[in-house]
Amino acid sequence: MLARGVGRSSVFQTLKVMLTPGRYGLERWSYVLQRVSGVVVSLYFIAHVLETGNFVGGITVWGVPEYSFAERAYEETVKLLKNPVFDVGLAVIGFLVALHTINGIRLILAHFGFSLGRPRRPEPFSPPPSFSTKQRAIFWLSISLAVFALLYTLDSLMRVFRP
Amino acid sequence: MVERVKFRVFRYRPEDGGRGIYREYEVPVKKGMTILDGLIYIKENLDPTLSVRYSCRMAICGSCGVRVNAIETLACHTQILELRRRLITVEPMRNYPLIKDLVTDMAPLFRKQKALMTWLIRQDTEEQENPTRQYLQSEEELERYLQFTYCIQCGLCYSACPVVSTFPDFYGPQPLMKAYRYYADSRDEGGVVRTRLVDRFEGVWRCHFAGSCSAVCPKGVDPALAIQLLRRAALKG
Repeated sequence: MLARGVGRSSVFQTLKVMLTPGRYGLERWSYVLQRVSGVVVSLYFIAHVLETGNFVGGITVWGVPEYSFAERAYEETVKLLKNPVFDVGLAVIGFLVALHTINGIRLILAHFGFSLGRPRRPEPFSPPPSFSTKQRAIFWLSISLAVFALLYTLDSLMRVFRP
Repeated sequence: MVERVKFRVFRYRPEDGGRGIYREYEVPVKKGMTILDGLIYIKENLDPTLSVRYSCRMAICGSCGVRVNAIETLACHTQILELRRRLITVEPMRNYPLIKDLVTDMAPLFRKQKALMTWLIRQDTEEQENPTRQYLQSEEELERYLQFTYCIQCGLCYSACPVVSTFPDFYGPQPLMKAYRYYADSRDEGGVVRTRLVDRFEGVWRCHFAGSCSAVCPKGVDPALAIQLLRRAALKG
């Protein structure tokens, strides 16, 4: 016998529902990926701005930074990032940005009824009109472009950081 | 031929301090037996304290909605052997207050339906009550909303919706679908009132098109489509 659910914190339950696509199908996977990619890319953006800010003197950005300071900061940052963990991390960010962008366009279209089918009488074993080939094709396009972005980012990193 | 299948059933008693447990029961299964038949077998032969709600046993009343192996379904509409599992987990629907074991309180669903005025609205109420003529519809007018009239209000879509789980004030798939069903009806004159009701944060704008509602509907209704079309209607005003 296992204890479950009812008494647990609602935050745990909420995250569990949000992050587990289960067996609900492709659209649920899209929902999970879109939310995860949105959060990860937002966090990356904040970290990226903070890190880039270091080149011009961090919070003293309004002062006039010396060139040598910026050069040293750049060298230190490259040294810090020049390891496989950050390489993979950046490639994953490339994947997520491409996915979030194309899938976001698909969602905007779907949200206003475009790329979906028309209402029709339900028929046994036929998918509902909202699971149309068009919108699913755009989802697979977003996955394909995201994989391309992942490979492209990895390739670029190898050329930039591993001369 | 009789096979033995293990049922892992969620049990919950409110007097036990809000925690639920799983209990396992072995059920002899014959071809054609449904999950509901299995639950009734448990109740009649193994554990009479098990609570399960059902009525018609033929997927019409929408009473026996549960989660079977982590997906929403009608217990009377799911055959045990078709699942091809030796262990079947049966849980109550999500997003509803739990009353006991597999029985949930459907009040939030009906309350939200009522809030969206999911009935035929006419300006001339006297004519609506005592019609003086027929109000015929063309085939195209019928097709616009017919699909959504198949809803049996089982509430599976509301349970499967991840947005209701994360934001309980969201109206949910079934009430919004029902609102669109009347919006799309050529006899209805409540379009403006209804689009104003759904044109809010907890209305159509909160749907993220996860599609789980349409994936679990046992009657082939497509709430996800209805919500997107309703969103377009709300944008038009």
